[in-house]
Amino acid sequence: MRIVPSASNTNAAGTRSAGQAAFLRRRSLIVLAFVLLCFAAITAQLARLALVGGTRTRTTAAEPLLHGLARPDIVDRHGRLMATDLAVNSLYADPQLIQDLDEAIEKIAAVLPSLGEAELRKLLADKSRRFVWVARSLSPRHAQRIHDLGLPGLAFRTELRRVYPLGALAGHVLGAVDLDNRGLAGIERMLDDNGLVEPAKAAVRAAKPAVRLSLDVGAQHAVAEELRLALKQFAAAAAAGLVIDVRTGEIVAAVSLPEADPSKPAELLDPAKLDRLIAGTFELGSIYKILTIAMALECGIADLESIYDVRRHLSAGAHEIKDLYPQGRPLTAREIFLYSSNVGSAMLALQAGTERQRAFLTRLGLLLAMRTEAGPVAPPQLPKAWGRTETITIAYGHGLAVAPLQFAAAAAAVVNGGEMVVPTFLMRAGAPVAAERVMSEATSASMRELMRLGVTHAAGTGRRAEAEGYGVGGKTGTAEIPGRGGYREKAVIASFLGAFPMESPRYITFVLLFEPQGTRETAGRITAGVNAAPVTARIVERIAPILGVLPRLVEARTPFDAPHRAQ
Amino acid sequence: MHRTVNLFLLLFALASAFAVYALKYDARRLEVRVQAQERAVERLEGDITVLKAEYAHLGRPERIEPLARNLGLAPVSSRQYLRLDADRRGPEASAAPASPGAR
Repeated sequence: MRIVPSASNTNAAGTRSAGQAAFLRRRSLIVLAFVLLCFAAITAQLARLALVGGTRTRTTAAEPLLHGLARPDIVDRHGRLMATDLAVNSLYADPQLIQDLDEAIEKIAAVLPSLGEAELRKLLADKSRRFVWVARSLSPRHAQRIHDLGLPGLAFRTELRRVYPLGALAGHVLGAVDLDNRGLAGIERMLDDNGLVEPAKAAVRAAKPAVRLSLDVGAQHAVAEELRLALKQFAAAAAAGLVIDVRTGEIVAAVSLPEADPSKPAELLDPAKLDRLIAGTFELGSIYKILTIAMALECGIADLESIYDVRRHLSAGAHEIKDLYPQGRPLTAREIFLYSSNVGSAMLALQAGTERQRAFLTRLGLLLAMRTEAGPVAPPQLPKAWGRTETITIAYGHGLAVAPLQFAAAAAAVVNGGEMVVPTFLMRAGAPVAAERVMSEATSASMRELMRLGVTHAAGTGRRAEAEGYGVGGKTGTAEIPGRGGYREKAVIASFLGAFPMESPRYITFVLLFEPQGTRETAGRITAGVNAAPVTARIVERIAPILGVLPRLVEARTPFDAPHRAQ
Repeated sequence: MHRTVNLFLLLFALASAFAVYALKYDARRLEVRVQAQERAVERLEGDITVLKAEYAHLGRPERIEPLARNLGLAPVSSRQYLRLDADRRGPEASAAPASPGAR
């Protein structure tokens, strides 16, 4: 900047212009310093960024969208994991970004030999596509190895997948989910219906606490294992086993063989793999005599000593009712139970009458629809008309088909002191269950005595159900399976409805064998006393320690003997 | 006088601008670190889930039972329970094998 002095006032202007020039110079210096400072600031920041590295703002593609639902874990009553969500990596490729096709194919095939080089080539060589799935649901280890290859054009997308670490165990109870992690059946379906499943936007698992079932994985396995052995031993078509806590209604084990694998939803639809405890109704045969006699006692029409002449001919419709083990003499009510007399139970039912029979069964919930957390129970198949004939046949377990679970719930009320419990697959939080009284304490006590007698008595059909020290009691049932135009020959459902320990029952056990065959050990017989009863004994022996039921020691044994104690 | 004040204020303004700038960068760097940590937590949580599932899978009774039986173990039998307060009996009791329940 140059200042041109004006010609008019030289002198005064001369001194003034000198001061002005100095002022302006200083001003320009300030401006200069300001500009320099700005540059210095920029330089400093640049240097800082270069030296410290500054912020490494990485621009990554948006987190892959998750199409799926996050489900809470399912655990058993002791917290053992039964179902969980895993974030799995699915590998996809953008063929246009692949640089060296041969190298890529070779390296991928080395990690995932199952893919096959030819197929990979077909997938990856197609440059017209920008997205192809290479492999879905990789294990974390494989995904890491693919990632480590560092091949361009390959990337992962995380998806949530439901896994069942215990395999097919309790598959019928757990149910299944579809590809989008949506519950299809069983407990999984209940999770959806109760709003416990939330849409997942990231590979984050559900924040909801685990759902605790009443099942005990150990007991469930023990029952399944014993039933599997029985299935083989008796060449049965199917088998089912149920263990229910008589006081809370908690289902501790529920097994139906053949099992359905929860990770294969199609298996749930297979009629051969039907859940026979819940989804099927059956005429269960003689185990109904438990209810018939309980009804007679409850109505006050008989006590255990009342005598009935079972030699009498009794016909229901066109059929004549016969006893399987005729004694050839009048029997007391106790003996009717013990010898499983059809005629005797029919006489008791007739004496009580159709109305009272119906009312009693209704009170025990056998004639009403029922549902559990795993879905609705197959509704009971009532007779079209309930007359004298039906009263007779239902007295010994024919003509009324119910789901075994429903029958076991009724039986729980018979032995637990007379209070109806609601079967549940969820663990009760320990709060006392408000139970409805359906029969007197005295009736229940008599029934406990009878059921124990059915196992301890030399003539009892349930002799082989005795598990030493656990006081098993119960009733056998061998029901012919209805077929076209009548009952099928030699095709039966052999069952044992038991409870233990009988002096103060904790659990109901219900074992059903469908179409068992005679074997050499059973001398060709197919009645429940030779198959379902001994299976019950084996199951009780195995599950009692798991469930914390201590055996009653028949005689005192000394624990630690002389060599240990004497010192 | 005014000038020095002005100069001082100017410098102060510049210095604080720089400070704000630096702070902002620091905050952003921290944010990135937080994000990285969060990602790490997420990854570890995923790992934990996988390990839990694997643990449950390896500990499933179906697998444990044959292994245990191979080792000579068996379900507890009611005969293995003994009463601690039982009277010590005669010789027939001491002939019994030493507490199988200890297994």
